[in-house]
Amino acid sequence: MSKELIRLSDCVMSYGDEVVLDHINLYINDKEFLTLLGPSGCGKTTTLRIIGGFLSPTAGDVLFDGVRINDVPPHQRAVNTVFQRYALFPHLNVFENVAFGLRIPKADGSGRKVKLPEQEIHQRVMEMLEVVNLKGFEKRPVSALSGGQQQRVAIARALVNRPRVLLLDEPLGALDMRLRKDMQNELKRIQQEMEITFIYVTHDQEEALAMSDTVVVMDGGRIQQIGTPEDIYNEPKNAFVADFIGESNIIDGIMRDDGVVEIFNRRFQCLDKGFAKDEPVDVVIRPEDVDIVDEEAGQLRGTVTSVTFKGVHYDTIVDFYGFKWLIQTTDFCPVDSHIGIKIDPDGIHVMKKSQYSGMFGDYSSYSEEYEELDVVEPEDEDGEESDSQEGGYEE
Amino acid sequence: MKQSNRIGSRLFIGLTFLFLYLPIFLLIIFSFNAGDSSAVWKGFSLNWYVSLFQNSLIMESLYTTLLVSLLATAIATVAGTFAAIGLYSLGRRKRDALLVVNDIPMMNADIVTGVSLCLFFVAFFQGWGAFANWFNGVQSVVTLPDKLHLGFTTMLLAHVAFNIPYVILNVAPKLRQMDKNLVDAAQDLGCTWMQAFWKVILPEIKPGIVSGALIAFTMSIDDFVISYFTAGSSTSTLAMRIYSMTKKRITPEVNAVSTLLFLSVLVLLVLNNVREIRQERRAASQEIREPSFFEKLSMRFNQPSFKWVRRGVTAAMACAFVVVVVLLTGATSSQPVVNVCSWGEYIDEDLITQFEEETGIRVNYQTAESNEALYSLLKSGGADYDVIVPSDYMISQLIEEDMLEELDYSQIPNFELIDQRFRNLPYDPENKYTVPYTWGTLGLIYNANMVDGELDSWGALYGDEYAGSVLLINNSRDALGAALIHLGYSVNTTNEAEIREAFGLISDASRRGVFQGKVMDQVFQKMEGGNAAIASYYAGDYLSMLENQADGVDLRYVIPEEGANWFVDAMCVLKDAPHYDAAMAWINFIASTDANLANMDYIWYASPNAEALEQYPAYYEELYGEELDPELYEIMAAPADVLERCEMYTVLPRATRALYNDLWIQLGT
Repeated sequence: MSKELIRLSDCVMSYGDEVVLDHINLYINDKEFLTLLGPSGCGKTTTLRIIGGFLSPTAGDVLFDGVRINDVPPHQRAVNTVFQRYALFPHLNVFENVAFGLRIPKADGSGRKVKLPEQEIHQRVMEMLEVVNLKGFEKRPVSALSGGQQQRVAIARALVNRPRVLLLDEPLGALDMRLRKDMQNELKRIQQEMEITFIYVTHDQEEALAMSDTVVVMDGGRIQQIGTPEDIYNEPKNAFVADFIGESNIIDGIMRDDGVVEIFNRRFQCLDKGFAKDEPVDVVIRPEDVDIVDEEAGQLRGTVTSVTFKGVHYDTIVDFYGFKWLIQTTDFCPVDSHIGIKIDPDGIHVMKKSQYSGMFGDYSSYSEEYEELDVVEPEDEDGEESDSQEGGYEE
Repeated sequence: MKQSNRIGSRLFIGLTFLFLYLPIFLLIIFSFNAGDSSAVWKGFSLNWYVSLFQNSLIMESLYTTLLVSLLATAIATVAGTFAAIGLYSLGRRKRDALLVVNDIPMMNADIVTGVSLCLFFVAFFQGWGAFANWFNGVQSVVTLPDKLHLGFTTMLLAHVAFNIPYVILNVAPKLRQMDKNLVDAAQDLGCTWMQAFWKVILPEIKPGIVSGALIAFTMSIDDFVISYFTAGSSTSTLAMRIYSMTKKRITPEVNAVSTLLFLSVLVLLVLNNVREIRQERRAASQEIREPSFFEKLSMRFNQPSFKWVRRGVTAAMACAFVVVVVLLTGATSSQPVVNVCSWGEYIDEDLITQFEEETGIRVNYQTAESNEALYSLLKSGGADYDVIVPSDYMISQLIEEDMLEELDYSQIPNFELIDQRFRNLPYDPENKYTVPYTWGTLGLIYNANMVDGELDSWGALYGDEYAGSVLLINNSRDALGAALIHLGYSVNTTNEAEIREAFGLISDASRRGVFQGKVMDQVFQKMEGGNAAIASYYAGDYLSMLENQADGVDLRYVIPEEGANWFVDAMCVLKDAPHYDAAMAWINFIASTDANLANMDYIWYASPNAEALEQYPAYYEELYGEELDPELYEIMAAPADVLERCEMYTVLPRATRALYNDLWIQLGT
């Protein structure tokens, strides 16, 4: 249905000895909503800045429509960016912020610089303000807008230039939960309406799963997995992806046969095939795929060590032979009760051992891990706080 | 207890501010004084402001100050702004280190900055001279000047150098506050870096740039020390001019110009503060508000339909600036010039204007502090004067060291007007180098209301009778000279025993607490205000003290019976003077009878011009409508019989000069 628009081929980015991007290969299709997902420092923002033209890769090529654009400066790329903290121009009002890009004279076909007529600028800005639901706000100073409104100005300011690709760098990071959900829908709607490619950077896996056509999970400057949200969630390639996307119990197992995996010396039916006989593997079991049954009827038996009410379900931590699992269940099991569990074959995902094996999936330090997921990614570079709201100067 | 504490602290604050501002208020008040004393109030008048604006020297230095400040501010603001932006593209550690480095020049003592810049320029000039000589030797197409001098350009460079840190200091915080992504965003939206700079960075950091520029401008206007070391001999800023004007006394003209300077700096500071406060308020209240009239105007002006108007205004302003700079620099460089170095308050400044109008030659009039200071300035090679006006003994020394050029008397017909008494004097026996400027005596000045009877002996300086009210002249030659005369020796003796005996007289008196202090220019204030009873000083200065003496002070001047020193200051031209012919024209002009009359009336020193000496009483009567007191005129221009009792200094041999120096240092301060 769609053709390839951008390709990163063998891109390396390094500062001295520090390798930020390690041989990235990635293609992005036209009109696709692609998300770069990963923890802070994984290289996702660097990838985005390379596509935007703010960075030039140390090695490798960036292709746009088949043409190498490594050395094309940002202002000559058919790409626009929505920045992390919006980066609105404090000295301009909403209208002028959106009109900013249109007012820059652009080279026409013959290479002559031409300016758009004022009437066209006005029309396009007003159209775009309508798209982002900001009609009537034209004259406001941007500092007088709420976070969500500023966000929409930033999107309008980028989209009004009719880019082929819109880059979004954690655009919702500074918004509160509800606003974020609304904006997710809004962004998806705009992307579909405008029919352009979105490349979206986030560390929030829910956001990634909810909006994307394709998710690229990154860590340590490498791509860990590329796939649809469903693929990524259901068939994580390694322990890192499994852990980063949703909650997972990751347990050491041994593949005894096709469709048979051994955990804690007990054999379980599964759907995975093609492993060597007796190969050590990582087994992922999602917390919602575990059924709690009577102790005697369980495939495994354990003791409840903590219960947290989450609204729809309880987060229940269960100790099996010293390894703690997270189980999400609507049944309440009090602490210290002995329970059994059952897992259906399609609830068991077997992965090859990787560098991430043994690093994730144990819930004995549950609370810390939970907090870690909520940590807001600090800004890149030297981590300096630059607050554009403060000391703003308008004329 | 608490109450009294509060009163105490308020009183303390009040006193602190009084201490800070009282002197300035006094200065402002006395700038409106009708009289020309800075101690006695004689009624309100704006005379000093009028004479200030008529004073071509002050006006010229004001113009120099404004030009150097404006140019330095413009250059430093541009350079500093880009430097700050450059700093911010570096890593944090490098940037912080460089910002500290940036602070150092601001904290550094001005004197160190000034001296080091002076050294730097002089070293560069030497290198340049060698290069220019070599370059001119190997080709003949372009001739490079091989001698460069300190002057306006070096001062401008110095000002730029010390202003840049202030601009960086003010721009840096604005850059820190600015969202770094703004530049990326602008580029992302199609701007080149330069467009992003104009459209985004500049509006963001404009407040910092403006306050940086204002501070730089204030610093430039205010600067004295650094200018003093880098301006060379032929350029003076206002501060330097004021300083040279205060050498003798603080005239109300100085009060007036200082008042204006204070007020303009005050206005700049207030402007800057008001701007900052308004900005803070605006940032604090981020709600929408009705734009003010000016903002509407500027919004309107910024609309695209006003594009051509806007461009026109910008272009016109740029053109005006260029034209002004070109005119200012061009006008001054193409005109013929003569560089004159004299003493403070030693010319009727109208003569300068008159000469410039008559001949079209611009006079660059500078002042030195003393013969010795002039001598060391000449020796250091930092001066490019044409005409200097040293005293007799210094002239002999300069001739001895081959530093003077012979004069072309065919270009100085007015030399014929010089009285025979003042030609072929011992310092220039064949009269090849000099045309006398003024002459006078060094006598005893005393306050008749503070001493018993009339004084007629130098002994009054050394006795215990007036202990604590005697002022010793702070100049080894004059101080020892009086003592030598008192002991009956020649002022030019080289006999060490005689000199030591004379010194003994002074040091004994000093030990016994006879002297209130060693003074030069402070003598005016002390004698006029009745704070001291006796001093030795020059006749011409006695006359101007007389005019300013406070009520209850009755100053007298006497040539003691033992005799006194008489002196001649004469115009000479330095070897290799760059403007020899202009120098001749100047000397001839000053030697004229009219110029001598004007100078005599202005500075109260006697003229060597025979006609002027004869005509002065009539001139005075015509000018002031009253007769000139013949006794006063005799003090000013001592009659022949008095002059016979006086002895002129001749240059002392090196060993004797060294002895003078050693002894003077022993005396301490």
